[in-house]
Amino acid sequence: MPELDELESRLEALQEEDFQRGLQVFRSKLRAPEASYLNSCIHCGLCADSCHYHRTDPCLENIPARKLELVTSVFRRRFTVMGRLAPGLVGARTFDREMTRAWVDAVFGRCSLCGRCSVNCTIGIPLPRIFRAARAALGAMGLVPSDLQATVDNSLQYGNNMAVTKEDWVETVQWLEEELQMETGDSQARMPLDKQGAGILFTVNPREPKFFPLSLQASAKVFWAAGEDWTLASDCGWDLTNYGLFNCNDEQAGRITQNLVDAMARLGCRTLVIGECGHGYGSARWEGPEWLQASYPFQVKSILELMDDYLRQGRIKVDPARNALPVTLHDPCNLVRHGGICEAQRRVLHQVVTTFTEMTPNREHNFCCGGGGGQLAMARYKQRRIQSGGMKAEQIRRSGAKIVVAPCHNCIDQLMELNKEYKLNVQIKTVAEMVAEAIVPNA
Amino acid sequence: MHGTHLAVLLALAWAVVAMAFLHRRAKAYGERRLYSRPAGDPAAGVRYAFTGGLAPWAKESVRMHLLSYGAGMAFHAGVGTALALVLMALAGLDPPAFLLLPARLLTLAGAVGGFSLFMKRLFKPDLRGLSCPDDYLSNFLSSLFILLALDWTFRPGVAGLWLAEAAVLLVYAPLGKIRHCLFFFTTRYQLGAFFGRRGTFPPGGNLHA
Repeated sequence: MPELDELESRLEALQEEDFQRGLQVFRSKLRAPEASYLNSCIHCGLCADSCHYHRTDPCLENIPARKLELVTSVFRRRFTVMGRLAPGLVGARTFDREMTRAWVDAVFGRCSLCGRCSVNCTIGIPLPRIFRAARAALGAMGLVPSDLQATVDNSLQYGNNMAVTKEDWVETVQWLEEELQMETGDSQARMPLDKQGAGILFTVNPREPKFFPLSLQASAKVFWAAGEDWTLASDCGWDLTNYGLFNCNDEQAGRITQNLVDAMARLGCRTLVIGECGHGYGSARWEGPEWLQASYPFQVKSILELMDDYLRQGRIKVDPARNALPVTLHDPCNLVRHGGICEAQRRVLHQVVTTFTEMTPNREHNFCCGGGGGQLAMARYKQRRIQSGGMKAEQIRRSGAKIVVAPCHNCIDQLMELNKEYKLNVQIKTVAEMVAEAIVPNA
Repeated sequence: MHGTHLAVLLALAWAVVAMAFLHRRAKAYGERRLYSRPAGDPAAGVRYAFTGGLAPWAKESVRMHLLSYGAGMAFHAGVGTALALVLMALAGLDPPAFLLLPARLLTLAGAVGGFSLFMKRLFKPDLRGLSCPDDYLSNFLSSLFILLALDWTFRPGVAGLWLAEAAVLLVYAPLGKIRHCLFFFTTRYQLGAFFGRRGTFPPGGNLHA
């Protein structure tokens, strides 16, 4: 595989100044909380079983504490007195080529930044915060896997991560609008583009126009049924994804976030609504303002919250009998554990399906599907990704559901692969697709 | 005042000052101003992190390893009891009769817990792979400290050895991983504040839930 060689050759070409630059960037990402985390791990190893990598491949390298130790050992060597005086005693190690290779393998190749280990840690160390700093350091050394970086570069160059042209995007929306009109029988049903002063700017994952147009159409149908005043942006600002969350280059992540902020200003919308995407929600809602070092002058909501509002307010009427197959729900890590959106999707599903079964465990204790943390974009770790998804596959199988609802398009991609690999024989849908199916028109 | 008493007092002073220094050094990394709007209450998250979030039923890692969890709890209770006994010994007091049995039980459980965790670290390959010499030394010093405290409740004559060991433990505490006696609290606080702000802690605590 050329990528294997390419990354390895970049590792081999590292010079002393590269290691120094990496350490400088690592240090620049640390604040008092991280300094505390880096002094806290007691190596109890109880985190091991919380990690889907370790549960599906129980080796030392997959224990979260081991991954953390690779980073903390460098921190101790460089930034603590004992690490300099007695490195052998306290397990302090030099940041050299071998250690850098181990960092790449651990923080890119064996972690989806899901944070399940954080809530299970004896101490309570939010490990992904440390791994993000390590990824940033590796990025400064030119060691982000090239396919992950290409996704970011697409966003920076084209305004969306799949390099969809404006012409293709607009044509797709117009085509879907015709489909929506046919589906609803309402010739006035709209999928507005660049509607000035609309209440809502709706953003989507480029996978929707590219591969899953019916998902976008389903969201549009919900807006239509609710009589929502909404719009899509035709230019930069329609894509909610931000793989800057995963290459951990905050400057690039900020530039991608700025597309959303600019679109909101350009169109004069009041609420930015993030479609069903875990990392997209986490990026726009939580990390975006931090990357930009500024609060938004507008509100950010998940479409899940919006659909929950519609049902509570009676703005849409639904008939759960239209979704008669047993349904279970996947909790995307960036939406639920890291995003705080836990209950809205459950309230919605309870109203639009007849049989809803929770996976176990769920909510903040959910298992990552294996596709998070940019894993879907890194081909070199595909085998590990599919193997680590075994935990999720088993959860799905145990639920007995025929439909898995996943409010995240990255998770959906991974779940579709797991569906094939583990022969789960389930359908995978978004929440909006379930709601759209249940909508009772003209009620 | 005996030489060992003075050594313990000096070691205690060192430990307190060094821990304060470590805390200050960590704080010197600076705080991060947050710009995103909170969805939950950080204070509620912190309260949960130090209460319900520590409970066995809130942590799969604990539920799956109840024996290790129990050993750890006994170990820490033993350390706390032994420290209390050291303070009494330094003050020239004998443990009140009604506290003697609980103190003995707690130090016995603590020593058993501590040494069993030491053996687990020594013999379990994964745990051994995670460990550095500091892990063994910290555990051994603490476990021995508890064991000698237990011994002292039966044989006051071992006070000299016990207090000397306590001095070594206190000197070492800020240098190795025993420093987690400080950073456990700061890290747990940060965890609670982080997930509280995002509405994940306490479960169901999201303002929009």
